[in-house]
Amino acid sequence: MTQPLLSIDDLHKSYGSEEVLEGVGLEMDKGDVTVLIGPSGSGKSTLLRCVNRLTEINSGRIALDGQDVTGADTDVNELRKQVGMVFQDFNLFAHLTALENVTLGPKKVLGMDGADAEEAGRTHLEQVGLLEQADSYPAELSGGQKQRVGIARALAMDPELLLFDEPTSALDPELVGEVVEVMRDLAAEGITMLVVSHEMDFARSAASDIVFLDDGEIVEHGPPEQLFQNPTADRTEQFLSRLHAHEETA
Amino acid sequence: MSTAESTTSPNPGLRDRVGTVFTVRPLTVGLALFWVWVLARWTTDFVLAGVFGLDRGTPFVPAAPFLTTADSVASFAAPFGAAGAPLLWLADTLQFAADATAYLPALAHGVWTTVLLTVFSVCLGFMLALPLSVVRVYGGRWARWLALSYTELIRGTPLLAQLFVLYFATSLTQVLRGVPGVGVGFVPAQAFWVAVISFTLNSAAYQSEYLRASLESVDGGQLTAARAIGLSKLEGIRYVVVPQGLRLALPSWTNELVYLIKYSSLASFITVQELYGRTSTIANETYQYTELFVLVAILYLALVVSASALMDRVESHTATAGVGHTRQ
Repeated sequence: MTQPLLSIDDLHKSYGSEEVLEGVGLEMDKGDVTVLIGPSGSGKSTLLRCVNRLTEINSGRIALDGQDVTGADTDVNELRKQVGMVFQDFNLFAHLTALENVTLGPKKVLGMDGADAEEAGRTHLEQVGLLEQADSYPAELSGGQKQRVGIARALAMDPELLLFDEPTSALDPELVGEVVEVMRDLAAEGITMLVVSHEMDFARSAASDIVFLDDGEIVEHGPPEQLFQNPTADRTEQFLSRLHAHEETA
Repeated sequence: MSTAESTTSPNPGLRDRVGTVFTVRPLTVGLALFWVWVLARWTTDFVLAGVFGLDRGTPFVPAAPFLTTADSVASFAAPFGAAGAPLLWLADTLQFAADATAYLPALAHGVWTTVLLTVFSVCLGFMLALPLSVVRVYGGRWARWLALSYTELIRGTPLLAQLFVLYFATSLTQVLRGVPGVGVGFVPAQAFWVAVISFTLNSAAYQSEYLRASLESVDGGQLTAARAIGLSKLEGIRYVVVPQGLRLALPSWTNELVYLIKYSSLASFITVQELYGRTSTIANETYQYTELFVLVAILYLALVVSASALMDRVESHTATAGVGHTRQ
């Protein structure tokens, strides 16, 4: 048995007296695409942010490639080189063009020289279908385009693991498709992805695992067909039926 | 003359190439003349006068023609009594022009000193203000408290008092007098540098407040995203937050620049012969207060309008869609 790429063990996190994560455990192998679902406030985003230490944990253990992530002597900047993140609100650098957004990390963090970084940056923009928008500023892009630049920016660091924090929630419905399509391509290329999303389309077609998180703990974890068709826990079933009802009305 | 003609001549090729840069506007022409005059004065008085042993401050335009014309206009108007009033006004204007030609060389030196005082103070002040504002927004508790105390101390006391404290109550003047080069050639004497230090410390406090407000208005997600690609906090501030904050701060920063041009006149209280100081010295000798203060008002206006026009250029040059207000 090879070592998992990401292993999370007995993770606890609370904000003040409110416990958001109550002993979460999760493992991902290289190439896995794990989709986290669950009601809002269930701790999905917090779990994601613990992995690249945008949020500090209270107790437990997170290891990436066998390396302890949460130790006091872990170099967080070193860790974040290996873990890319895509945000719900895109958070593109507003003063930089699409290409500059993508090349900032490689230039300043990886120390690539300008020309190399730009060449690689163009490749990544091409990968998300936005080569023509290379010189546009974020304000000049549509929401879907912004999020694709956000994905390209994360890809440019050549991370071992990509985190997606509700990447399509801030998008108009007609723009969701283009982002999901890019994510599906990445999944097919074997990129390891941990995704918080209720995009059932993506979950069904690209996920290797679905994790249902509720009230700070993992209620159910399994391959999509099993979890969606035959959920074992009542809470999962209730959540899924609410989600379906919402999808049909939307 | 030839340049004015070539810019107004309907030459489509030229117009196409230079675009809007050379559309002639009275304001632009006025400012251009002002700066040509300032630079010409500086070149003659500090460079050519030294090389050729000329008298410094010789007027470019002689006063005599204005005076004789004024005299003849006045004597021509005399028989008409009250009906000759417009002609008398013309005579007065010509008299004013004659006076101006005599005073302008000295005032040009004042302009030069005011420009140096303002540019040094605002630039050095900015270098202090930037770290101060970053500390105010991102620093630890003690560092924040220290930066806040400095800002409040400076903003809470009169600039003139700060100037006097530095000039009279510290040994700064003696120390600066001992620095080689100070007061030699066109390097101003120690009082000027005391004023620069004082205005720098003062301007830094005000500028840091403007910058702090701008840094705080940059969305928090920007720094989060910078951290997420592996930049340290300081790098994230430097490459992501500060560039956006500076753009947002430009309008209020222009305000500070304009204030400082005029506040720099306080330096005259510690003997610096900047524009206001020179004017009041001459006025005290000649009693031509009205003429001189009209002149100095025009010169200050030229400086302030130049500063606004320059910052306008900077604003439109650095304008980025989605960062601050962009004018169409």
